[in-house]
Amino acid sequence: MLQKQTTSTRFFRTKLTKALALVAGIIVLYIVAALTLGYDLTSFGAISQGFAWLFHYFMPTGNVLQFLGAIVTQIFRTFLIAVCATTVASVFAIVLALVGAKNAGLIPVIGIFIKGLASFLRNIPLAAWALILVFSFKQNELTGFLALFFMSLGFLTRAFIETIEDYGTDTIKALEATGATYPQIVCQAILPALAVPLCEWVLYMIENNIRDAVLVGLITGSGIGFLFDLYFKSLRYNAAGLVVLGVVVLVIAWEILSIQLKKRIEHHAKD
Amino acid sequence: MLTVKNLTKTYNGSKRSLEMVTFTVRPGEMTAIIGPSGAGKTTILRSINQLIPDDSGEIFLDDQDIRQLNKQGLRRVRHRIGMIFQNYNLVDQLTAIENVLHGRLGAKSALAGMLSLYSREEKQEALDLLGEMGLADFAYKRCSDLSGGQKQRVGIARALMQHPKIILCDEPIASLDPKSTTLVMDILKKLTTTQDISILINLHQVDIAKTYADHIVGINQGLVVFDNDAAALSDEAIQEIYA
Repeated sequence: MLQKQTTSTRFFRTKLTKALALVAGIIVLYIVAALTLGYDLTSFGAISQGFAWLFHYFMPTGNVLQFLGAIVTQIFRTFLIAVCATTVASVFAIVLALVGAKNAGLIPVIGIFIKGLASFLRNIPLAAWALILVFSFKQNELTGFLALFFMSLGFLTRAFIETIEDYGTDTIKALEATGATYPQIVCQAILPALAVPLCEWVLYMIENNIRDAVLVGLITGSGIGFLFDLYFKSLRYNAAGLVVLGVVVLVIAWEILSIQLKKRIEHHAKD
Repeated sequence: MLTVKNLTKTYNGSKRSLEMVTFTVRPGEMTAIIGPSGAGKTTILRSINQLIPDDSGEIFLDDQDIRQLNKQGLRRVRHRIGMIFQNYNLVDQLTAIENVLHGRLGAKSALAGMLSLYSREEKQEALDLLGEMGLADFAYKRCSDLSGGQKQRVGIARALMQHPKIILCDEPIASLDPKSTTLVMDILKKLTTTQDISILINLHQVDIAKTYADHIVGINQGLVVFDNDAAALSDEAIQEIYA
């Protein structure tokens, strides 16, 4: 009995020590990094001042309503670019994923190549994509579309491959045993079984791309990002503030809509 | 009707999984493969329709060596070999009738199969088969809503939709309760007597093998150690199989 108690005491004491060590480690990391950079730790005090300035200038007040029409039009166009880029990318991504997934049992070398390509596309930062493409395609909406497209293609291909590989091989083998071909198995088993998670990835990607479209627009000189840049550089801060507000409203609206869509999809799948 | 000759397989070059496995499944008979876990029962079954590659041997269905077929030929032969599984392996998100119709995929053109373009006769046959399995009321229910016993009967209907000469059964009752076990085994047994379909079944339970099977093949560590009528399975033979 006594023996047991000391064992359990020691066990929980060790766990607590480990947790404390982890917290201490994170604090030490911050201090080391901050000292190396030469942060003045007292500068935190200036943060509230900074925010006060921000609110004062960026508050959409005064005669900003005259910009509203232009802003809403550009926000809507930006939203459409995000939707186009994501949907086109998802079509290409599902084809690549169905070929590249391990449980598809197709040629392994091609699978490795597709996964490599997807990682490559995804790991180039979006800003870099936009900058590279601006050189070749100039400042227009197509450039923004392409930047979002390549990024989404990489991300969705990886996400789709993981979703398909998680499905395993049981049902695929069962249909192979009936003499079904792989395209038939895709349409009769993989897509019906995974329709819900695959659609959820696409909705998530659209949400992400709406946010990113603003940044891409800033770099490629199109859409709402361009408008923000224009107002900001011409010192019309209150109009720039209205742009930020508009983007936030759009993102939240899409989030609410996509939650509803997901519910519908899952509900439909259960009936 | 099905003859397996000298079937050999090695996993990753190390452990030998099957060694010169030879046996015959006679038409209209139920042949049970019994043996301890890891003896190679599933490997034998999946080698027959080439779901997994083997190393050497011959597998004759009637007079055709399945191992020598090209892709198209293999697809045709697979269509004549039904298969059911321990975990049923249905598409849970689809309805029972859609899963049964999957048994027709091997006979359809690629496009017709992809787009679910089944004929009126095929749909009627699928409904009739579900009726025979006692699942007439469940035809339009999603398979995820069915019980294990019901799912296995959908699996049998899918196999029968292939008009098979033989059905391979990979531990079909291992996940079922005793009542569903009896139901499924009775259905399988009836197929051999009334429809002249051969059944090759992997089983864990020796008593069920003795009750239902006509012919028993005992496997131990990839070797056939018993191959005779079910009535000839003595206690000594059982001890040797599970040694």
